[in-house]
Parts: sequence; structure tokens; C-alpha cells
Amino acid sequence: MEVQPRRPHGRLIGVGVVLVVAWSLIGYRLTVVQGARADEFAAQGLDQRLQRLTIAADRGTIFDRDGRELAVTVDSISVYANPQEIANPVDVSRTLAPLVGREARDLLSALASDTEFVYLARQLDLSLADAIRQANLPGVYVLVEPKRVYPSGDLAAHVVGFVRPDDNEGLEGLEFFYDEALAGTPGSLLVERDPEGMAIPQGRHQIEPAEPGADLVLTIKSEIQFAAGEALAAAMERTGAAAGSIVVIDPATGAILAMVNLPSYDPNDRSAVPEEALRNRAVTDVFEPGSTQKVVTISGALETGLVTPATTFQIPKQIGILDTVFEDFTDHADVLSVTEIVTYSSNLGTILIGDQLGARRMHTYMSAFGQGTATGIDFPGEASGVLRDPADWCLTTCVASTSIGYRVSVTALQMAMVYATVANDGVWVQPHLVAEIVDATGVRVPFDFLQRRVLSVATAEEMRSMLQAVVEVGTGSLAAVPGYRVGGKTGTTEKYLEESQAYSEDEVVASFIGMAPIDDPRVVIAVVLDSPRTDATGGRGAAPVFSAVALAALHQLGVAPDAG
Amino acid sequence: MVARSYSLAYPVSGTRPFHVIIGPRTRQRRIGGWIGLAFTLAAVFFIMISTRVALDRNAFVLEDIRNQISVEEARYWELRLRVAELQSPARIADLAAEMGMVYPTRLVTIEVPGLGSPGPGVEDRWVELKMLLSAQP
Repeated sequence: MEVQPRRPHGRLIGVGVVLVVAWSLIGYRLTVVQGARADEFAAQGLDQRLQRLTIAADRGTIFDRDGRELAVTVDSISVYANPQEIANPVDVSRTLAPLVGREARDLLSALASDTEFVYLARQLDLSLADAIRQANLPGVYVLVEPKRVYPSGDLAAHVVGFVRPDDNEGLEGLEFFYDEALAGTPGSLLVERDPEGMAIPQGRHQIEPAEPGADLVLTIKSEIQFAAGEALAAAMERTGAAAGSIVVIDPATGAILAMVNLPSYDPNDRSAVPEEALRNRAVTDVFEPGSTQKVVTISGALETGLVTPATTFQIPKQIGILDTVFEDFTDHADVLSVTEIVTYSSNLGTILIGDQLGARRMHTYMSAFGQGTATGIDFPGEASGVLRDPADWCLTTCVASTSIGYRVSVTALQMAMVYATVANDGVWVQPHLVAEIVDATGVRVPFDFLQRRVLSVATAEEMRSMLQAVVEVGTGSLAAVPGYRVGGKTGTTEKYLEESQAYSEDEVVASFIGMAPIDDPRVVIAVVLDSPRTDATGGRGAAPVFSAVALAALHQLGVAPDAG
Repeated sequence: MVARSYSLAYPVSGTRPFHVIIGPRTRQRRIGGWIGLAFTLAAVFFIMISTRVALDRNAFVLEDIRNQISVEEARYWELRLRVAELQSPARIADLAAEMGMVYPTRLVTIEVPGLGSPGPGVEDRWVELKMLLSAQP
């Protein structure tokens, strides 16, 4: 029997055709996906899975000279929300309010906003993270952020400055001046995540580590800074001064051991700090130095050989130039030596010496001491003061006024540097606040500081002897330091008011600038009180502050008392 | 006459006309080979999976260690901050004041003769003094 092969059924052919077409389409698509556009689709998929995160660089720490932290960066948490994910904002705000320390109604208004991201609290303590997470609030998230903290509070607020909380960028003080070094370089993390947002263990995990910022080691000694702050606060309470500044310098190196200004502020909480409290007055504010300027005039005269400490002058009762009458405010003999002129702070004697020195030479020495020019301290916003060119000086009262510290404006730092020059045998050394920068690898960056000779050693020694006499028998007796021989000069000037372009009738600037011990000065201390109401002279208001700060500084530096 | 192929000209038989008879040993060897191959493949597959699992586990461990490092670093900085706060001169001064420690109002300087240039017997006395001090609790 013959078996006839069956003819393919039409439907079977149709199915076959459909299958062939279907497989062809699938094959085509497969070729497109896996072949022609494989790279494009792979890239799209990878892009959906990959997440690039910026790794914030650790901001460098700021230390005092003994390695004590003045500014550190720690982890903190910030709480944010996506209001679109929150069904019941009232409940969420009530639950969250006690955890983040905010009013529920404030949170509610934030949660009711028509955005997808809103901060509810910034830079909270890290320990609160667990409590907030356990509250399990939908749409509320916790983010770890770096936070700048100043553990010593207002101790060195004006020196260290502060950063902007949002991005830790330096805004004031050394935080601003050295922001680039402190900030470091941010890194990045490329991580492959699943749809749940979890990192895929074998996925791409590529880290470009952040380069931490450099640390700053300051010249500030915290104990001296604290003692200066306490002494200044006590003096302001005693005298009713509106403000005050103290600068303590190591004259041999130009290192600032302490720099205090009042009123001050706590950089950890600046919510209610008035603008004027933020200024580092010792560097940014100028005043007319008054009698403390006599050191410049007389050392210039000594250096040029016009006078010696023993040269005597017949002191008149007063000197009148046009409408201006100059007088002395201390009782003294009619004839004074140069030493006695300094000791009793004789305006008239100094004017006579200044007259011999002349405008040009006086200007030369003032410039050499750094007046009229910023010292170049590593601090932002330093004022250069005002020192007019001698060609602009009037032919009447200008020399006389300038020789006793009027018609010239200086900062407390500039005046401290004048005395530091005398203390350092006539060599001016650029003042500085940062001793060294230590980068992330531990390499210490050295600094070179400007130096220049202003006076001869002999003139500096003679000047120190005169300053010693000021404290021992002269106007600065309240600056005496038990156990040590010290020297310095008082200064009291009428306050010049910028607004009215005139001198105040009832406000003065009282100052005392001195050095200790006088035989081998280790510290130079400038004290400036702005508008004291009682004890409103350099001798009564500022000199006792010098005494207290000098004693603390000498103890802290381990300087043995003077024998005898 | 229509030409037909040989295979279509005759009915298809249920059994092949010729076939190779494989002896039981040979069959066992072949089956053994297949089984061996299967086991090998299974073993390779198992090793691959195990390796993958181990790698994943290690990745998790590494991730965990990274997290621990972050936590410990945060803790380290918290402690440094705490130390700095404890060392703050203001805090120490307050504590000292509470304990009754104040700056003396009068300072007395004691001059020790021979301190600058030790005279005869100073070293011996210093040794005695050191022994005395070291015996203190």
C-alpha cells in the first residue's frame, strides 16, 4: 500500500509564517538591542543604576600653639522632607517637633509647602539620628553633614572667625583668610544601586577620595588669650568702656600670643550677634595713639643723634600755635631730661623734640615703624591707618600734633608693633597668627616673615630704660607686675568721631602699651579701651589691665621673676 | 512513471534494519563519561556560584567595615571635641574657682642661693630630696 505524504495544511503554513516573522522581528530587535545599539542601551541602563555622590572634604582643624583644638569639624545630621510624600503633615510635625527642637507649627508650614525638598532642621547632634529614624515618618529623611564646631566658644572668636553653616565656607577671620587651605578638595563616589537604592555589592564602586584640608597651627596660646579676655572684661566693667582690645606679641618672632576684643560673640551661636561684635577691632579699627606715639618721636630723635636720654629741655607752661594751645597734664619740674619727658608723658617736651626732628624725619620713622601701612598680618580686612605725606602736613600745628600722637591713625596691632620693635632691639618682625600649615600628609609648610631694622640696638635699649621709668616712677605705675621689671607707656586721646569729623567732648581712648620683662622682653602687650567712663586715662584704665595680662603671660611662658 | 525516492517507495519499518550493538561495558563507560561530565559541570557551576556568593558576602562585609569606619571616625571626632571642650580654659577656670583656687593677691619671690651655680654638696642634697619625693605616695 502506498502511503501518500500529507500536504501541509494552510493554517500550519500560516502559523509557520507568523512564527518566522515573529522570530525574525525578535531576532531583529535582538540584533538591534544586543548589537547595533548595545552600547547605547548599556549606557542608559548603567546611567539609571549609577549614582555619583560628592564626598565632602574634611575641613582642616585649627589648633592653638599647644595643639588644643579651636575649630573642628564633626558629623551632624540634617533632617529634610519631601512634602509630596507626606499624607498627614499634622501628625508628622507633632511627632518630629520635640525630636528636632522646633515648634510644630513651624514644621507644619514647611511640610505644607509645594516643593519636593525642604530642610526641617540643620546640623543637629548625631545622637538624634536613631530616634528620628525609629519614628518611621514617611517622607522624612536624615542626612549626615559636616558641622564646624568651636569648642572654646568665644575664646578666640575674632581670630578664628566662622564658616557659613550651609557649605562650611569661611566667612570671617582665619576661617576666611585660609579658606582655600582649610577646605581641601572634594572627592566623588560612583556607586551602582538597585531600584531600591541599595548598593549592588558586585556593581561599580569607584571612589575618588576627597583630599582633606590642611590644619592650621596658630601662634595663639589659649591660656594667655583667656587671661587677656578676663582682664579686659573686668576692665570694661570697672571703667564702663564701650569696647576694648588687647594684643599680646612675642617681639622676637612677631607671633601673636593673644588677640582679644570685646564685645565678643560665640561662633557656635551667632543668631543674635550684633554686627559690631564681629569686628576684630585690634586689626580693623583705627584710633589716634596719643602719648603712646611719643616713643616713635623720641626714638627717632635718639636715633638721629638729636638728643640723648640725658638731654634737658626747658619746658614752657604751654605752647600756643594759632588757636591751638598745647599743655601738659602732669606736674613736673621746669627742666626735664628726655627720660623725664617720657616718664611724665610731657606733651610740651615731646613737641620740642618733635620740632627738632622735623616733619620729614618724623614721617620717616613713623613709616619705618609701620604706621600708615598694613602690617601684612595673615588676617582679612586689616586697616592700614592714616599717615599723611609730609608734603600735606600743615606748617602750623601738624608737627606738634603728630609728635604727641594726633593727626595719625593706627590700629592697636600697629602700635603694639612699634613697641615690639623697641623690645626686639630695634628689629620689626611681621606679626602673624598662623605658625604653620600642616597638610593632609603631615607636611609642614614653613613661613617666611618680613623683618627690618628700624632702630639701633643702643637706641632700643635707651628707649626701654625710659619705658621702665614710666612704670617705676611715672604715669604708668599701675602697670607694675609683681616680681618682674616691666616698661611701657600710657596714652589718652580724645576720641575722633568720623561721623562729625570732630573730637568728642566726653569720650576718650585710653591705652597702655608695654613689655615684660624689660631686660629681655618676652611679651609686648597693647591694651586699648574705647570710651571708658571712669578711670578714663591710660594710666588708670588700661595700665592695670597690662599688669594682669603680663603676669599671666609671664607665668604661662615660664619666665622666671627678676631677681632683687 | 513518477520517480519516487527510495525512502518513500517503501513503507517505513518500525525497526532499523541495521544497528550497532554496544556492549554493556562500553555503554557503562559512555554513561559514566556523561555522568562525569555532568558532575564536572555541576561542580564548576557550584564553584562559580560559591565564589560569587563568597564575593558578594565579602562585599557586604567590606561595606559593613566601611560603615563601621565612618561611625568610629565620627566617634573619634566627637571625643576629640569633648576633650577640647573639657580643656577649655574658661571651664577649667570656673572649676578652679569653685574649688577655691584663686590667683594670689600678693606674690612672694623666693630666691634660692646657689640655684644658678650649684655649690659643693648641692647635688648630694638634690639626690636626697629626689629620694624623699619619690617615696611620697
